[in-house]
Amino acid sequence: MTFLVDLAVVTVSCLALGLASKYLRQAAIPAYVIAGIILGKGGFGLITSYDFVEWLGKIGVILLMFYIGHEFNLKGIREPGRLFAGCTDFGVNFIAGLSLGLVIGLSLLEAFILASAVYISSSAIVISSLIENKKLIYPETETVVWLMVFEDIILAILLVVLTSIMAGSLAMIPVSLATTLLLIVFILFLIRMLSNFISPLFERDDEIPILLIFALIFGFSALAHLMSVSEVIVAFFLGSALSGVKSFKMLLGATISFKNLFLTIFFFSFGMLFQFQFATLFSAYFVLALLALITLSIFGKFVSGAIIGKRLHRSLETGLRVGAYMTPRGEFSIVLLAVVGPGIPELLFSLVVAYVIILSIIGSGFAKYSDRIAKAIIGGINK
Amino acid sequence: MRISELPGIGTRYEIESPKGDKVAVIFLETGEIELYVLEAGAEKPSVTRLTPEEARRVGSVLTGALLTIEHEDVEVSFSDISDLRINIHVCPVTKGMVGKSIEDLAIRKRTGVTIIALSRRGRSIISPPPDTVFEEGDLIVVIGEREQIKACAREILGQA
Repeated sequence: MTFLVDLAVVTVSCLALGLASKYLRQAAIPAYVIAGIILGKGGFGLITSYDFVEWLGKIGVILLMFYIGHEFNLKGIREPGRLFAGCTDFGVNFIAGLSLGLVIGLSLLEAFILASAVYISSSAIVISSLIENKKLIYPETETVVWLMVFEDIILAILLVVLTSIMAGSLAMIPVSLATTLLLIVFILFLIRMLSNFISPLFERDDEIPILLIFALIFGFSALAHLMSVSEVIVAFFLGSALSGVKSFKMLLGATISFKNLFLTIFFFSFGMLFQFQFATLFSAYFVLALLALITLSIFGKFVSGAIIGKRLHRSLETGLRVGAYMTPRGEFSIVLLAVVGPGIPELLFSLVVAYVIILSIIGSGFAKYSDRIAKAIIGGINK
Repeated sequence: MRISELPGIGTRYEIESPKGDKVAVIFLETGEIELYVLEAGAEKPSVTRLTPEEARRVGSVLTGALLTIEHEDVEVSFSDISDLRINIHVCPVTKGMVGKSIEDLAIRKRTGVTIIALSRRGRSIISPPPDTVFEEGDLIVVIGEREQIKACAREILGQA
């Protein structure tokens, strides 16, 4: 029955640190990762079965991607202004990350992974800070939330590309890419075909609807696994396929609860496997790289924000606020790292973990004081 | 009014007054409703978060329903169909109606309301047929839009 002990360790520690972070009005994601770091392999080693906790965490990632996929909205994103904003955000920040990666001596693939982690903001932190800081009435809020949607789409594409590349030899890339796309098309097609059959099942008020959801999620994830396709990509497209099924909306609340629980376990499990070495962590190279990374990625979001603000809102100040809101990085950078997985070197791993923890904390502050920061920068420029 | 979809947050309805004051209502995905008021020239908005129940109350005060219509009146609105508001009104039949049928009075034709129920000596008749003759002491339940209910009060019940 040791799994109960593991479960207790995970939930109690996350509850305690999560609650503390909410009282301090901080993002909870780094708190869960830190709980994992303290109690896991690199810390007190309180977990008996790392595999077990890791499996539960994987369910969290699958559910997160399923949820994001459900929100996936191709129609809304096609508006030219939103497309422009999304492409600017991607162009500026991805290139910034990629160049820095190459400068600090990473391989092209590693730099690509770093750039992906640097580019993608944390929807969870950004959206909750927009609500908490009472920004919903301002026009730039709309720009920011659609940027999040755009980033989700790019995330799906990046995951497809990265998992295909990581799949093996160069010759295998087209094969695994083709398999992935085939499976995606198959899922979209199948759900559309079965839509009339599934829809009434979701309307029942017994355990059938939630069973059906998990049967679909686990069924297709297993299929993906057998076909050596990333299960998170499959979950993403399954979510987007199901969003077209009429009565699915009624079940969203239940799915979100499961997602929240398992995703918290994922953040813990991510931290728990992290064995940081003090020697690496305090080497001059590491510290410098980290500082450069943090500075550059804050700067990057402000630059892209400024361009977007100038074009969409005709105001540099608004743009700088967009940049400030977009600063927090979080769940997606971690998910990306976890999905791309064991193939990446220790150093890059530690770099991104430290980066995400720091930027999720700094970022929430930036989002909170966006008005003052934007004014200060404008003041600085005018001088 | 400007309506914008905010994925991950909800739906925003925004109105700007000629003075430049802004009011926004945000239906959050959690089901709660946030009400923003941003005065022209103000730095920060005032915000309150309402439960659907509270929002409906505020809403019916704003539409004037509570001020103009009398006690035995319910307004039903649906979150999915924002422009549909159904009023249900309960009233006793008046002297002039006694002895006449629903058909004789041409209630729907003249006012647009429909009688959905009739309470007679403590028993209810749901969807009374058109040939139902009113008796003294009957209570009728009518359904319709607010204007139609007013018309009914004026034309049929003879209230000012």
